[in-house]
This record gives sequence, structure tokens and C-alpha cells, in this order.
Amino acid sequence: MESKIDRFRVLTAAWLGLVALTLVGLGLGEWFREARWLPLLVAAIIWLKGALVARHFIESHLAHPFIARLLQGFIAIAPTALVLTAFFGDTLARWATL
Amino acid sequence: MVAAVLHNSPEIPVADGRRIPGNKGIWVGITCEIVEFVVLFTVYFVARAHFPDAFHEGAQRLSVISGTVITLLMVTSSYFIACSVNAIRLDRHRAAVAWLVAGLVIALGYPLAKFLEISWNLAHGIDGSSGIFFTVYYYLTFNHLVHATWGILGILWVLARLLFHGYSAGDYTGLEALASYWHATDIIWLIIFPLFYVLA
Repeated sequence: MESKIDRFRVLTAAWLGLVALTLVGLGLGEWFREARWLPLLVAAIIWLKGALVARHFIESHLAHPFIARLLQGFIAIAPTALVLTAFFGDTLARWATL
Repeated sequence: MVAAVLHNSPEIPVADGRRIPGNKGIWVGITCEIVEFVVLFTVYFVARAHFPDAFHEGAQRLSVISGTVITLLMVTSSYFIACSVNAIRLDRHRAAVAWLVAGLVIALGYPLAKFLEISWNLAHGIDGSSGIFFTVYYYLTFNHLVHATWGILGILWVLARLLFHGYSAGDYTGLEALASYWHATDIIWLIIFPLFYVLA
């Protein structure tokens, strides 16, 4: 049984972080719309937001290893695919052509 | 025998001291949900690799305000529900009810925002046949809406149980299971949002 610790401040900080990352991501997306490195930045923000929710809302670091790995893996898939598509899109399209 | 199996303790410890948030059943469901969306994201990235221009131009036609509002609704309802779990752990029943009601009210804003977004889309000539980007956008976001609707129904059920003192500091498995499902659905939206609304 875990100790009864009030996590309100941690949860609030995580929520504020998620809101800030959402707004910052939008602003950067608008300002650097044509930048070649934008997908890298967006991928980093996706990963960071997913990790925030997993760690502070689900408490994945205290969860069963399967759950922790499932979440870690899922959070990493889309950012990785985004970077691969942005920089190796033609190769990916060739591999995925029937 | 059956009663003994069903009467789990709120914390399910495993060998190395780690635990299962909620219960095993919800994690079977969450795993299936994740597998489903991995397949859907695979289709998204394959389509994006084949038609980069369509994805670049398509994102500029969507309502960024709608996507942002839905994102803020999702993270805020997730936060409120996490606070409800925190409150019940501290044996603050009334606070747990209040946080869950707040989470429900905010969560209900999602289908409303989506309805307004679809109306806006249709008014601007955007439907499922408007091109590859919009086909992928509609099936991915509608799928997420379906999953969120199940979550909202789950919130209603858990709220009813919580109102009748079905959960306490000694047993809050159901509330935490619902919270885990909603947080996982939140993570999926946090991936969908930049893929369709930010990468314009």
C-alpha cells in the first residue's frame, strides 16, 4: 500500500506544463511553418507531453513493467515515425508501396 | 471462490513492488486501444509519405482553434480526474466527487467541440471525400471520439458508484481504472493534434 501523499501540486504542475507545451507548440508551428526541422520539434513536444501524462497522471514509473514499457513504446512510436517520414519520406513510401 | 477472486485489494502489487493502476481488465482494454491506434497511425504515416503535399496543404484548411480547444479540454479533464483519484486516496470523498464532476463537465465539451468543428468543416466544403488527408483525418478523429465516448460513459458509471460511496481510500480500483483509460485516450489525442493541426 502506498503512503498517502497529496500529489495535488505535482498534478497541477504537470497540467500547466501540458497547457504550456500545447500553446508553445502551436506558436512554433505557426512561426516556423516552412522550417525543415519543424517535424523534429513537433516530435519532441509529442513525446514530452505523452511522457508527462504517463508519468504524472498514470504513474507509469510505479506501474508493472509491462504497463511502463507499453506506454514508453507507444509514446515513442509516433515521434519516431514523424521524424522518419519527414527526412526519409521517399524511402518509406517506396517500402510501403504494394 | 468467485467472490474471493472478484474482491481484489485496491492496489495489485507485483513481485518487484510495482503495481497495476486500476485493474488488469482495463489494461487489457488499453493495450487493445493502443494496438488499434498504432495501426491507424501507421496508415497515417504511410499516406503522409506518399502524399506529403496533400498533408501540408490539408492541415492549413482545418480549424486550429477547434483542435486546440479539444486538446485543452482533454488535458484538463484528465487533470481533474487525476485529482479525483488523488482525493479519494486521501479519503476526501466530497473532493473526489467534485473533481470527477468537473472532469465529466469538461470531458462533455469534447463531443460538443467536435460537433461544432464538423459543422465548420462542412460549411467550408471539407468532408471525407475532400482528399487523402481529410479521409485519414476523419477516420482517425472519429475513432478517437468513439473511444472518448466510451470514456465519458465510464465516467458516468464511476461517478454514480462514487456518489453512493462505492470507492474509498481502501478501495478505489474502479476509479483508478477509469482514470487510466481516460489518460491513455488523452495521450492518443496529444499525438493526433499536432499531426493534423500543427504540421501545416
